[in-house]
Amino acid sequence: MLFWPTRALRSDSFVIYMPAARSVIPLETIDQVKYLPLISVLNAVGKVDALQEKRDSLKIWFGEAVIELRLDDRKVQVNKTRLTLAQPVRRPRGQWLVPVDFLTAALPHVTHETVEYQVGTNRIFIGDVKPTSFTVRLDQTATGARVTVQFTDKVTIHTAASNGKWYLYLGPRPIEPLEQTFRFQDPYVSEIQFDDQDGVPKLILTPTVSGLNFYPTLAEGGKVLLADVLKPPPVAPPQPAAGREPVTAAAPAVPAPPAGPPLPAVVLDAAHGGSDTGARGRDGALEKDVVALLVARVRLALLATGKYRVVLTRVGDVNLAFEPRESAANLHHPRAFLSFHAGDLGTTTPRVVVYSYQASLPPGPGDNPEPPPLLVPWTKVYRTHLDQSRQLAQALQQKLAQIPGVTADQPGGAPARALRSVNAPAVAIEIGSLTPDADSGVLTDSNFQQQLASAIAAGLQAWQGGSPER
Amino acid sequence: MTRRAKVLMLVLLVVLAGSVLYLHVLARRVSFQPSLQHGEEVARTRLSEAALQPATSPQQMATLYFPSYEQGLLREEKRQIAWAETDTDRIRQVLLALMEGSHQGYSRALPPSTAIRAVFLAPDGTAYLDFSTQTLADLRPGILSECLVVYSVVNSLAANLPAVKKVKILVEGQEVDTLDGHADLSDVFVPDPARILPAS
Repeated sequence: MLFWPTRALRSDSFVIYMPAARSVIPLETIDQVKYLPLISVLNAVGKVDALQEKRDSLKIWFGEAVIELRLDDRKVQVNKTRLTLAQPVRRPRGQWLVPVDFLTAALPHVTHETVEYQVGTNRIFIGDVKPTSFTVRLDQTATGARVTVQFTDKVTIHTAASNGKWYLYLGPRPIEPLEQTFRFQDPYVSEIQFDDQDGVPKLILTPTVSGLNFYPTLAEGGKVLLADVLKPPPVAPPQPAAGREPVTAAAPAVPAPPAGPPLPAVVLDAAHGGSDTGARGRDGALEKDVVALLVARVRLALLATGKYRVVLTRVGDVNLAFEPRESAANLHHPRAFLSFHAGDLGTTTPRVVVYSYQASLPPGPGDNPEPPPLLVPWTKVYRTHLDQSRQLAQALQQKLAQIPGVTADQPGGAPARALRSVNAPAVAIEIGSLTPDADSGVLTDSNFQQQLASAIAAGLQAWQGGSPER
Repeated sequence: MTRRAKVLMLVLLVVLAGSVLYLHVLARRVSFQPSLQHGEEVARTRLSEAALQPATSPQQMATLYFPSYEQGLLREEKRQIAWAETDTDRIRQVLLALMEGSHQGYSRALPPSTAIRAVFLAPDGTAYLDFSTQTLADLRPGILSECLVVYSVVNSLAANLPAVKKVKILVEGQEVDTLDGHADLSDVFVPDPARILPAS
């Protein structure tokens, strides 16, 4: 069984919390310095009205503010105010990047809002946002350990288990932890980690050994989380208190690999990457970033079902041709291959279209011999799974169409190159519209992306439920 | 002046005259030798002019297909075109009409900056269209958008030129993997009537 390290969860992203919204911005590290894409940051906190880009300089009109930057220069001018950043402005691959201290140095001059930022973290609070905080205590009990998390405000919890860890989703309120990670020398719990790098605050509990049960519950009106980590009795299973169902009832809370065959793999393919940015929105959003964020959410949603292991073709912002993506997918003999794209889908937005592969040249009379040939060229391997790919596209579309406010077209066929040489049921999911004519804010909205991720996980399960075991 | 000096002077004058004459011929050769790039541009311009010039034949109704993003299909538009003599020029006429854009307000298929490097029609009915990289730079990437662009070209050509059975798209004279990262161009395209919005 594959083990997914937690650092993959804490992907390189930065969360901007505002009173009515939050945005997840991709973070880039250059020479151990964290940088943020300037246009994405500004569009997260407002709207870029216009920009003038020259070879070595950038001028941005943002509301009443005019921001001027020069490449490889630490000085930034906001209206009449000249500011000095800790690190120079960069522009790799044509994307203007500013160091993280731009948020505290320049953003208050631009937004005229208070900015709260704890140095070293990957989140910032702008405007009238009052984040919840918490403390953690671990106590030994007769049969295990009790984790007590005291919050400064009420929270809700939703639990899930995956890959040997327990996930406690803490509801919609922004949370600022005093510490990111709590480590223990304990026979039951080794680590409690806070994570919100996908915009969803959660605690991740790592048990010290496998075979433990986990019983979380809220007390004091939602301000205290009590989580019992118990060793199961040797004969009879523990009888939890009324209303406290163990997480194992819904999903395996046991961190060790389950007995029997490994979980089926689902391959998630975030299109483009590196210098290949794909489509671009009016507000500077890039297809490669939009789909990378979506893939991270879909991955979590699939892992939370406890029914799949997830393989990513692209990890990080790297150039990747089609062949290594196909190789990575085919190596794992996946149950399904999902390729994620964002592009021009016209004026209707948000909109989702699911495609299966349709060849540009339909098969001739001799192209589908019976019985099927032993060896199939890689360029024609999609034919082996065409029916299942279409069924998968249909199942996903049905779930995506249930998202309020989202237009989900009937699934179609397209000569989508990403699907051609994948030896598995394969579909491409395109969201839009990501085009220079329209703002793409909704496509990077965490709620929208979370809804997509949940619908895709549900669609995948529905498809498997309705098809024979492969 | 001695006789020897006169002979020397005469020889020098002959050499000088010969040099001038040679330089003149050389200069003419240089100025009339077109560069390869210049030659291609001239050829392309000549082809475009040939396609755009009013033909002696009367105007006939042509069928063009333009993208409709809302339906994810192609919309039909009729237009009068005075067809050129040869099929390759007619292919170019269709492409130029698509570049010109819809007269009925439909979405654009090919950007106005599209540069067609060459057009060939093989005996088996395969039309080879060689676009420049600039064409790709001005396209809007996406599965739907690239698919609509390709089938706009393929279906429009097939609708107006019975000789065109298949279309192979090249870029800068080379086979390419995709149009702009999405649509698979590794094989030829045949017209797909299912991509056309049925007439209401």
